Parts: sequence; structure tokens; C-alpha cells
Amino acid sequence: MKPSPDVGIVFPVLVAGRLLLALTNLSETLKHDHQLSSPLTSYFNLQEGIYLFKNGIEPYSGGVFRQSPLFLALFTTVLPTSRIVASITWTLCDAVGAWALIQIWRARQRVAQTSRDSLIAATYLLNPYLFLPTLALSTSSFENMLGLLALMFAARGDASPSLLAAAFLLQLSLSSIMLLAPLILLLASSPVSQLASPRAFSGNGKKIWPLVAEFLVYTAVLTLTSTLISGGWAWVPQTWGASLTLPDLTPNPGVWWYFFTEMFDHFRPFFLMVFSIHLLIYIAPVCLKFQYDPLFAAFILLGVLGTFKSYLTLADPGLFISTASVFPEIYPYLRYPIVTTLLHLHASLLMPLFHHLWLNQGTGNANFFYATTLVFACANGAALTDFIWAGLRIAIGEPQDGYVVVQE
Amino acid sequence: MSLHWKSRFIWSLCLPLLASSRSGYFETFDEELTVRALGDGKVASRFSFSTLLAGATPRNPQNLSVEDESQHYTLFPLALGQILREYAVTELHLTLNAGNWDYQRWGYPDEPDVGTGAQLWAWMGEGASTSVDARWRGLRNALAGLFCASLGALDEQLTTSPALAFAPQGALPAWSQPHAVRHAALAAEHVCTENLTPFLKLLPCKARAGIAQLLNPHRLFDADWHGMGLHVEWLPDTGVQVRLTFQSVTNPLRASSNRRDWSFSSTFDRTIDRKCPSASSSRILVTDPMNDGYRLTPTPWTYEGQQLTWTLDDPSLVGGNAVFDLIKQDVPLDVSMRWAVEFAHAARPPEAALSIQRSLHGASQAHGTVAVAIANAGPDTVRAAYLETMPWIVTFYLHTLELRVDGVLRPDLLQSLHYTPPVPHARATTLEAVLLLPPRSTLHLRVEVTKAFLRYTEHPPDAQRGWDLPPAVLVPLPFANSSALTANSTSVPSNANDVRSARRLYTRALLVDPATPDFSMPYNVVIFTCSVVAFVFGSVFNLLARRFAVVHAPVRGT
Repeated sequence: MKPSPDVGIVFPVLVAGRLLLALTNLSETLKHDHQLSSPLTSYFNLQEGIYLFKNGIEPYSGGVFRQSPLFLALFTTVLPTSRIVASITWTLCDAVGAWALIQIWRARQRVAQTSRDSLIAATYLLNPYLFLPTLALSTSSFENMLGLLALMFAARGDASPSLLAAAFLLQLSLSSIMLLAPLILLLASSPVSQLASPRAFSGNGKKIWPLVAEFLVYTAVLTLTSTLISGGWAWVPQTWGASLTLPDLTPNPGVWWYFFTEMFDHFRPFFLMVFSIHLLIYIAPVCLKFQYDPLFAAFILLGVLGTFKSYLTLADPGLFISTASVFPEIYPYLRYPIVTTLLHLHASLLMPLFHHLWLNQGTGNANFFYATTLVFACANGAALTDFIWAGLRIAIGEPQDGYVVVQE
Repeated sequence: MSLHWKSRFIWSLCLPLLASSRSGYFETFDEELTVRALGDGKVASRFSFSTLLAGATPRNPQNLSVEDESQHYTLFPLALGQILREYAVTELHLTLNAGNWDYQRWGYPDEPDVGTGAQLWAWMGEGASTSVDARWRGLRNALAGLFCASLGALDEQLTTSPALAFAPQGALPAWSQPHAVRHAALAAEHVCTENLTPFLKLLPCKARAGIAQLLNPHRLFDADWHGMGLHVEWLPDTGVQVRLTFQSVTNPLRASSNRRDWSFSSTFDRTIDRKCPSASSSRILVTDPMNDGYRLTPTPWTYEGQQLTWTLDDPSLVGGNAVFDLIKQDVPLDVSMRWAVEFAHAARPPEAALSIQRSLHGASQAHGTVAVAIANAGPDTVRAAYLETMPWIVTFYLHTLELRVDGVLRPDLLQSLHYTPPVPHARATTLEAVLLLPPRSTLHLRVEVTKAFLRYTEHPPDAQRGWDLPPAVLVPLPFANSSALTANSTSVPSNANDVRSARRLYTRALLVDPATPDFSMPYNVVIFTCSVVAFVFGSVFNLLARRFAVVHAPVRGT
């Protein structure tokens, strides 16, 4: 077998390539793309919020700026807002994310270096679902980086940095609260793969509540910081509230926007509640079922988020797909990877096309794009169910002739 | 004839007695028609019916909970008076216009509010038990009923408070609480006969006598431009004044391509054959065009007015007025103007020193660019406020705001910016920018916008047509030392007696086409999306909840 290239070479090369791409003028073309950045992550809206903030206009008094006040603080004090700096910062975010993913893999394998490291870096840095949003300067790159950092620190057993990263992530995206349960279980147990040998939760249950408390303290501190930065509580309904009440119906690859565009007004609050609670319903069963491998539970919940969260962008399923590279042991048990791939191919080719036909060309209508987002949801759902199947099926072991594995 | 004189005599005796004995207010009614021949051969006429409630003051909103004084009016329109008292409105301006006023060809209008569609703005005192916004809602609904116009559609999503561009025209009483302005415009409102009929009902002589006889709907709504207005102001030394106005621009060249002669009978298809006995003055003013030979018939009663000049490189003189006093003049009266020479179609210098053009660029239904070109042809720098009151469906991105003169970025020309961001589904944008317009140059303002995606119930009927966006407003402002003001803003001689009225310039309305969903799809979308969600949810829980088993299956298939 050919020796795989050294990660010490591959990683800088990939980052340099990404940086070159980022410094081209592509971001101007992509900044308005609804599939790459949502109203909650768009760089265009972020710039507007920073402009309003600098000029003494309350950025949260309107409906344009829906990002965390922490971004305001970051870009008005630490980072300048020039395009070049932004491109470098966003690419570095992805580099940190890729590095964190490698670290997660190493922690799961309990080795210092593996031949798979380069492949994992490549799945993160070359995933079009991830690098296109980065080129469009969508703040989902920050969210993905923080999510991976939280998982990485948890996999290494560093509780405080992990919880701090998760608290920062929660500030940027309310739906990331779903990752908290597997994260804390991971901190209380180990990241090593237990999928093939399921058993009851083996970690230290007593560690859980102090960890939750620590997370709550970080969240409270960051929430207060945000309030101090923005000078009031108006940011809460504008950022966290927006992902629950969906005031902006800009199209995205998710299932929420058209559903609530077409929703009858008197059913709107009910279905908003249903869609929000629907996400939370997955946490407990997934964490209970995969209590022996919380990293895998976190991965499955990333898949749920990447399918059903409000204001979905391609970066969310992108994170799910790239994180799958950490679980190679279940690949042989996937039932229909080709179908899933074809569904993804279908959706990712037709989505930009139908989006363009509807909004720019004027020759298609909203249903075209809606149909492809449904296919995209099916593709993500298919990947999700297949990974759950494979994650459970691996426990039975290799199939023998004359026997089939079924569910009771 | 003698009957009219007699009745008028009796009226003039009785009215003041009645009025003063009941409510203590002396009421006068004045009517005036101004006819002005425009440079491009068209004829602008302005009807103004003004009723003064002498000595009256607007209702203090702090007394709204107390029972109001009884309202006994003889000339003052009661239906309107009740609305003003009920909602404690200090100042009110309602205009319903159709068409675009062409400042370059027609100069500044006699009545400055010429924005396309409906526009309503009011100043109201605060401090009442009901809020200003609640009274504003009541006011526009009451006026919608009074004028049969869709003013109820001027809801919170269109209401703004632009105090700079819509400063009070009259005076505001010095109450303990401040006043607030509310403004809303609806560019899509159509003006027609159903609005004129209630308008005429507010006049003491209706359309049966006096100048109002000329308000013939068949002709007025056939004009190139027409608009009606209602203006209520409080003038501290005189009282509450209600002014009903009607402006129109008719085109005599439609009938013949080179004769621009006009008369009442040709323009309005009517003549004045009765005098309004309630009117204390009733005058017809024909502005002297000063540049060609013409003949007015009958002979005017008198001439008035010095020759006011307004210079813009080429001094184009506008003369005084020929006055027909309807009280003294014989009826029937059919004023006509015959020109000595035929009209020559030719390019003319612009009539207005300032001009403003606004357009919306971009093919995408999701975002675009608003480009505004403000030209100042005068010799002095003009300080002006630019006001946008956009509905929330078009959102400005101020970080992309660019000011250019001759292609060079000039951020220094933006003196100040007042911005209220829009709230989706709730509040309109207010963007008030104070700009400096350099002399003899054009300022280009560009800002990127996004177009909102609306819920399917929020789209208007015929959604694919799009939304009419209200006109932007440009208001020249005085400099700190007002020497430049006199040089630039005394540009309408025929209206020079009303110095306080602002020379607001309105842009054209814009049409924006937000993306539309499929309106036949709500059930389908609910079913499809819920199916996908249920499918994934079911599959996941199916996998999680059921146990795996290894089954012996020697024969495959059945």
C-alpha cells in the first residue's frame, strides 16, 4: 500500500490553497447566495450591523442584524473589517476546524499520529459544503470551528475549554444547545470507539452536574457580556429569538422557510413550536442509545441539526458529512451510501440552478427551489438514518451466510 | 341676478350673528383659482378653498377625557371638524394625487405636496390618555371613511415620523407636552370621482356655485396630472384654517398640436354662472406668462403683483397676476386666454433649480441597488434633506451608501444621517440624510438594498405586479446663515406669499417586485414538508427503538 502523504505537508498546502481562493474576488459573487449564508450568518448583514453600531444606531432595533453582539465586539475592537482580513480570518477558522477534527480523530484512536490525518484534513478543507460558505464569509465557519473545538477539548478531557467553546457557540447559534448533552457525556466518559461493544454508560455520572453548572456559568457570563456590548437585551429576540420565530423568510436549503411562507397565519405559532421542539426530541433517545459512545451521539445530533435546523446553510450538513470521516469503522455497514450520494448530488446541483431560475432569471418559480430543498432534506435524512443504522449494526459483527440482521 | 345679490346680503348679515352667538367663532370662506400657462404648453390650475375658524385653537389632547365643547359651524365642514376634535389633531395634510409632477417642465407646484398616490401627515400633541399612534390610527380610518380612499392601508407598516422633511406649516400650540408627527404614503392609491364627491361636500356651496362649479370630474380626472389636498393648520393670530385644494395640469395641445389657447369651457367644460354667497372673497388669478403676446377675455378686474423674477442662468420672467374678482365680475364667467402665435415645440431650460431622479437597479428579486441622482443647476451650494420612508420589504444597507459627484467619492457631502431601521412585518424605514448639493453638478447616491421574502398572506392582490414604493422627498434646508436660502428657495413667484411652505420635491414612485411563493400551494407545502419530517423522524426512531436480531434465512426471496 502506498504510504499516505504526511499531514505536516498536506495540511499547510490545503490551507494555502484555500487562502489563495479566499483572496480572489469570489466572495463578492457569493456574498448574497442564500444557500451559503442565512440572515443569521451573512457577512453582508454583519457589515451592516457593524456600521450601525459604529455610527451610534442601535443595530438590534431593526430586522437586519441578527448576529451575536460578540461579533460586534470582535470586529469593532480586535479585527478590522477589511475584506482581506476577513478572508484570512475565515480561512483560519476553517484551518482550526480541520485541525480540531484531526485531534478528535487522534483522541478517538488514542494515537499521536495516524496515516488517516491527511484524509481527515482534506475532508474538512475540501468539502464544498464547507469551503463555499467560508468563501462567502458566512459566520457559520465560526460556528463550525467552535463546535469542533468543543468536541476536540471534550475528547481530550479538557472540561473547561470545551465548555467555554460550547458557551461561545451557544451565543452564536441557539440550536447548538443540542450538542451540550453528548458533549457533557463525552467529558464524563471517553472518546474511544465503543460502537462495536455497546454497554451501559461507563463514565463517571457524578461529574455531569458540575459540568452543567460550569457551562451555565460561562453562558451567563457571555450573555451578560453580550448585553453590556449591545447596551440592552434587544439582541436576545433578534438573535436567539429569530431562530425560533423565523421573522425573515429568506430562502435557504432547509425545510423551514417555505413551510412558514405558505403557513396559514393562525397556525404559525403552533408549527413554530412543533418545529423547534421536534429538534429537541432527538437529544434524549440518541444520547441514551449511544450512551457508550457520546462522540457518535454528537455526530448524529449534528446530522439532525444539518437536516432540520432553522436558517440552515450548506455549512451545517457540511459539518456532519466531514465529521463522518472520524468514524471509518462503520462504513462497511452503510446500507445505501450510493443512494445518499446521488441524492446529495441531485440536490446540490439543482439547488443553485433553481434558485437562480426563480430569483434572477424569472423563468422558474419558488416550487422548483422548494422541491430541491426537499430532496436535500431527504439526502441529509438518508445519510442520518444510514449512519444510525451502521452505528448500531456494527455491534452485530460480520454477516454470515444464511443469516440476516433485522430489527425486531 | 338681483336674487343672488339679495340672498348674499341676507347671508352676510345673518352668518356672523349666528356663528358668533353659538360658538363664539367667526367663520370666513375664501376661494381662489390660479391658472398658470406652463412652458411646455400645458396649463396648471390650482383651486384653493379656505375656511377659517377665527380665534379657534386645536383641541389639547390632555383634555381628551373631558367632554368637548359643542361644535356649531356654519361654513366650517362639520364632518371634518368632528374628526379633528375627536383625535385632537393640530395640523393635518392629506393629498391624493395621480401622475408624476414634472418639475423640470412645470417648475415647482403651487401646492408642494405632489407625491404620487395618497399621502397623509399630521402633527398631534402628546400627553393624552390615548397614544399618538392610537389617535393616528383613528384619524386615518376616519379620513378613509370621509374621503372614500384606502387610507386605512396606511398602517403601522407604512407610518414614519420624519420631523425634518415634514415640519409643521402652521404653528404648534405651546402645550406642556411636545408634538409628534406621523407620516404615511401609499403610492398605489388611485384618485378618482369617488374621492372628489366627498371633497365637494365639504364646501359651503358644494359644486353648485362659485369657483367650485368648474370642478367637473369628467375633465379633472382626464387631466395629465391631478391631485386634491386637504390642509388643516393652526395660525396663532387668526385661528384654525381648513384649506381644500385641487390641482390639475391640463393639456390644450391635445386638441390641436399647435394652439395652446384655453378657456374654462375648453378646460373644464363648464363656466361659472353662479356666485357662492358664502364666500367673502372669490378670485380667479391668471398668471402672466410674460413671454408672448396673448389676450385675456373678459377683461380682468385688476392686475396685482410685482414681477417676481427667478433666475437660473437664463432669467425667465414670470409676471404678476391678472385678477378676476368673482364677487364684482359679471356672471356667467368664462375666462379664456388666446395666444397670438402658435406654440413652438422646442427644448426649454429646466424650470426648477433642483431635480431628483430615483431608480431601483438589479435583476434579482432578492437584492438590488437604489440609485438617486440629485442635480443642482443653481449657482449656490444647497443644503437639503433627503427622506426615504420605505416599507420594510426594501431594506437599506447603509454600509454600502456611496455619494459621488462626477464619479468621485464625496462622503463629506453627507452632513448628517438619521436612520430608523425597519422591523420585518411591523415598521417602515426612515432614512433622513442631510446632504450638501454642490452648484452646477449632480450628486449620485447609491445604496444596496435587499428585497424581503413575504409570507403568502402578506402579498397584495396581483402579487406578481409588485409593490409601489412611496416617493422619496428632497427638502432644501436653510443654512445657518440664511443668505444662501433666499438665493435658492424663493423659486415660485406665484406662491411667494407663502414663504413658510417648504419646497418639497417628490421623486417618482418605484415598483419593486419581491419574490412570490406559489399561492396555490399552502396545503401541498404543509403536506410535503411534514411528510419529509415525519419520514426522517419515523426512520430515526424506528432504528433507535427496535432491537437488532440475527435471523436464519436460508432461502432468499419468496
